[in-house]
Amino acid sequence: VTNDSALTPATLHRRFTSSVHDERTAAVLGIALGVTFTVCFATGLWSHIQQHPQSWYIARPRPAGLYRVTQGVHVATGLASIPLLLAKLWTVYPKLFAWPPFTSAAMLLERLALIPLVGGALFMLFTGLANINLWYPWPFNFPAAHYSAAWITIGALVIHVGAKLTTTRRTLRRAPPASCALDRSTSAPSSDRRVFLGTVFGGAAAVTLFTVGQTVAPLRKLALLAPRRPDAGPQGFPVNRTAQGAGVVAAAQSPDYRLVVTGKVARELHLTPDDLLAMPQHEATLPISCVEGWSASRRWTGVPVRDLVARAGGREGAAVRVESLQRRRAYRTSMLTRHETADRDTLLALAVDGAPLHLDHGYPARLIGPNRPGVLQTKWVTRLVVR
Amino acid sequence: MNTAPEREHGIGFWLGFVIGGGIIAFGIHSVLQHSAATKPRSMLIWIVGADVIHDAILVPLVILIGVLLVRFVREQWRTPLRAGLLLSALVCFIGWIPWRGYGRDTVPDNPTVQPLDYTTAILTSLAVVWLSIALWMLVRIVRARRRARAQ
Repeated sequence: VTNDSALTPATLHRRFTSSVHDERTAAVLGIALGVTFTVCFATGLWSHIQQHPQSWYIARPRPAGLYRVTQGVHVATGLASIPLLLAKLWTVYPKLFAWPPFTSAAMLLERLALIPLVGGALFMLFTGLANINLWYPWPFNFPAAHYSAAWITIGALVIHVGAKLTTTRRTLRRAPPASCALDRSTSAPSSDRRVFLGTVFGGAAAVTLFTVGQTVAPLRKLALLAPRRPDAGPQGFPVNRTAQGAGVVAAAQSPDYRLVVTGKVARELHLTPDDLLAMPQHEATLPISCVEGWSASRRWTGVPVRDLVARAGGREGAAVRVESLQRRRAYRTSMLTRHETADRDTLLALAVDGAPLHLDHGYPARLIGPNRPGVLQTKWVTRLVVR
Repeated sequence: MNTAPEREHGIGFWLGFVIGGGIIAFGIHSVLQHSAATKPRSMLIWIVGADVIHDAILVPLVILIGVLLVRFVREQWRTPLRAGLLLSALVCFIGWIPWRGYGRDTVPDNPTVQPLDYTTAILTSLAVVWLSIALWMLVRIVRARRRARAQ
């Protein structure tokens, strides 16, 4: 605390005397956040496009593990951003009390843009963290709000970068303050700053180490703070919606169950599970990659969707709508693009790792295709509508 | 810290302002276009609320802890202690949701959500953090002793 005796708006910000509140720390953390937020935004946008078919983009099934990687990176960078963001805000906190609050119209605009930037960034990270836990303590729909707020946050970030680019470049080009050369054993300000940055980046690394095992299988034992384990669940992998939760327990086990292949076909098919098992089976090792960031690779066996379309006399390379036994719910149906239908590994899976599907994994038949978000790997499939 | 007003609002700022402003406008349009799903009013409360809670509650709380640390802890232990507290807060923040079982409680039929005993998981993570800090403090002590002996 300085010797300013009177605490007035003009002197308040000078009360923050810790060496971590400096331009250099702010610049380093700012750049790190610029990278993580850009990666998070790009991978998030990619995930949005996968889940919401666009007229200008037709989803492709290869490379098979692409979505697994992009969504794993999305959640991991989001989690690693938590310590970076809080540290950055701590570093620049005294600026909140800068007096006078603004000296020009440009500065007023710059400072106003901090409201969507800071609020938006905190909103993105908190809603993301809650969502990977399937926790929704708010009235809005998570994907819609997270998506829209991402644009607002990134827009505010662009304004912020424009405003700070010159300062950041100048700060980093300057040699570190001479005090950095002081003896490490003393608690010199520069040492505090180094330790602060070390702790923050160490924290980001620790968060990653304790959570990334939800998608990077060899690290699964270390995933102490992740809400999912890729090896925990029936048949050794997790479930997002159970058969009970989806209300399909009776329908999925009913002797009346049929897979109907319909739409633009020469002959409509009504197939029992035994009929499906009697068809030539194909095996594919594919990951199930959840939007919440966990993933698990499994060996699936079933009938390629394209074989079913062909048997019904549908057009080769047709798009297919896949419908579940589920009533209502946003992810009751999903679309297969012509590229996906044409891929031999796009399966109506009947078994996983050599055993019939568990009811919670979509018994009697589920969709599994390469490079698709988990929510589009429709379970308890009862209809294929050829387009 | 230099909090003097910055006078550098050149072409870079205005370019960023126009592009960034356009992106924000797109975001707001997206919120309003899907208002049945986004619930604009509650989104606004959450975004501004996050700002306010951070600036008016979280940071003052951290400052208070910092003041107590300066008052009651000897100078040589402050830096490692600060690092340890920072990392512990982080572990508790990330682990808090699964520890309370938020999310898990809405899907009682799904044991694959938050499958661990998170009390043990958090305590284990904290143990890793504090063991690292203890190791670091030990290194500091040994180094200081060596230096003292060398002099």
